Amino acid sequence: MIQTIVQKFAGRRSSIRAAEHRFIIIALVPTIIFYAIVKFYPIFFSFFISMHEWSLFGNVSPFVGFDNYAILAKDSLFYKVMWNTMYRTFAGTFLGAFSSLIVALILNPIKRGSIPLRLIYFLPVMTSVIASATVWKWMLQTRFGLLNQLLSFIGIQPVPWLQSTTWAMPSIIVMGIWGGIGFTVIIYLAGLKGIPKDYYEAAEIDGANSIQLALKITLPLLKPVVSFVLITGVIGGFSGGFQAVYMMTGGGPLDSTRVLALHIYDYAFQRMFMGQAASMSFVLFAIVLILTLVQFRLQRVNWEL
Amino acid sequence: MANQDFVGVPSQVDARSLTRGATDFQRLRRGLLINYIVLGAGAILMIVPFIWMISTSFKPQAETVSFPPRLFPINPTISNYIDVFDRANMGQLYWNTTFISVIKTIFNIYTSALLGYIFGKFVFRGRDIIFYILLSTWIIPFEVYLIPLYLMTVQVGWADTYTALIVPEIFTIYAMFMFRQFMYTIPTELIDAARIDGAGEWYIFHRIIIPLSRAALFTLIAFYFMWNWNDFLWPLVVISSHDKYVITVGLATFVGEFWNQYGVIMAGASLAIIPILALFIAVQRFIIEGVVLTGLKG
Repeated sequence: MIQTIVQKFAGRRSSIRAAEHRFIIIALVPTIIFYAIVKFYPIFFSFFISMHEWSLFGNVSPFVGFDNYAILAKDSLFYKVMWNTMYRTFAGTFLGAFSSLIVALILNPIKRGSIPLRLIYFLPVMTSVIASATVWKWMLQTRFGLLNQLLSFIGIQPVPWLQSTTWAMPSIIVMGIWGGIGFTVIIYLAGLKGIPKDYYEAAEIDGANSIQLALKITLPLLKPVVSFVLITGVIGGFSGGFQAVYMMTGGGPLDSTRVLALHIYDYAFQRMFMGQAASMSFVLFAIVLILTLVQFRLQRVNWEL
Repeated sequence: MANQDFVGVPSQVDARSLTRGATDFQRLRRGLLINYIVLGAGAILMIVPFIWMISTSFKPQAETVSFPPRLFPINPTISNYIDVFDRANMGQLYWNTTFISVIKTIFNIYTSALLGYIFGKFVFRGRDIIFYILLSTWIIPFEVYLIPLYLMTVQVGWADTYTALIVPEIFTIYAMFMFRQFMYTIPTELIDAARIDGAGEWYIFHRIIIPLSRAALFTLIAFYFMWNWNDFLWPLVVISSHDKYVITVGLATFVGEFWNQYGVIMAGASLAIIPILALFIAVQRFIIEGVVLTGLKG
């Protein structure tokens, strides 16, 4: 009697296992095939392309080995592009992280009206960069743009924001900060929520004032979140900026806003140097990979602390 | 120095300090007042571009370039909007973009929920290795894929088709990761109980797991719909016929053609922005809570 029950149960269990296995296999096999074709094969293919003088319409694509990489190493325009990319990435990430931190710290203690405020800061995050860049380009227009018109009230001569090699990149960076601040603020607010209230109570009993609370409790405990924001910002920054630059300056004036993403697109699809463009995308890949490994390293250090 | 009081003090502390007498109370009031002033000023800076966009879009051409700048047009007109609908084929752009965004979002969310469930709730050999191999593609910038994927698309004859827009993005790693995190909050006993009761695996997934994942589901649907709606680079490269353009590519082309007619351009930008903003404001409660819920804690 007991034996049959056990057998029955075991049979039932094994049929459950079989169903589970079928379920897993049906879901996983297409996924793995998809990733192999769409995510892994293209990387090797791209490396293959970067080894050739590859043009979309040419029938022959001669093998050139590492020549495309050697050309990059000697190309002054590429160095300029890398400098622009780093300028945009670091200035944008640090200023963005800093201003978002300020907003989050001010927003955190507020109860009444905090939802509409968050929503306002979040609006640009939802907006397509193409559309917001169109609006910014109009506001920064030299003669009729809102910014120069307002500045003229305090006696400042019109600044050609997007036509000046000095101001074009800062303009694009400021627009990027405007576009990303809402998202970063939400990440910070989640981090602030995770700080135990007891810490503040204990410090208050010991007579700490609010500036001390901020500097001695909030900021140190928020450090992992800040470093997360900075590192992901820098990693994303290297491949970012395409839409804003494409819409606002097209890389100009005098290539002063030409960033890597735009440069790759330009070489591949405007000038049709696919091999050369593929080699640039591999430089980008290498940078992102190294930064990601650094991030893993740093995070481990943080956990140990 | 005056604005030092507000920095980073949680409201609970403020609430308790109310009981400590008038000086603390005044300090608190002054502190929060400064918070509101600073945030309000920031909020104005944040929405100025939207307001100016809408304002310009209702101005006749002559007024867009007049000085001093005016918030409200003297002779408001909707002719800019009519121009956009006529000349940019706005109806078609809306339809194309909605169609692609809806299909992509359905695929993205369904596959991610399924895989998140499998990686989060099942134990099988090689599970973690497979998961981390898939996850590793997260860090690869799209620019690396741009050229090979385009050449592959041309090779299989998908250039200038929606298939090329949809197929490479059926699966998505970010949502899969978020769903996997979320699955840990669903008790395994519940799934086992359903199995003992004779429910099939697909039944469990569709009727138990998906309804229980509502919080993550709504947030990710909203975000993916927005990302798919605002996607630009891949459609720019793949789609060449005007009647197949999506809204971002259509707007970029349109801006190039009407470069000095600011009223018309701002009407175009408004039409590209407003539907998605309206949708988001309608569901924003879910989103702001969901960003936190799905584990986006840093």
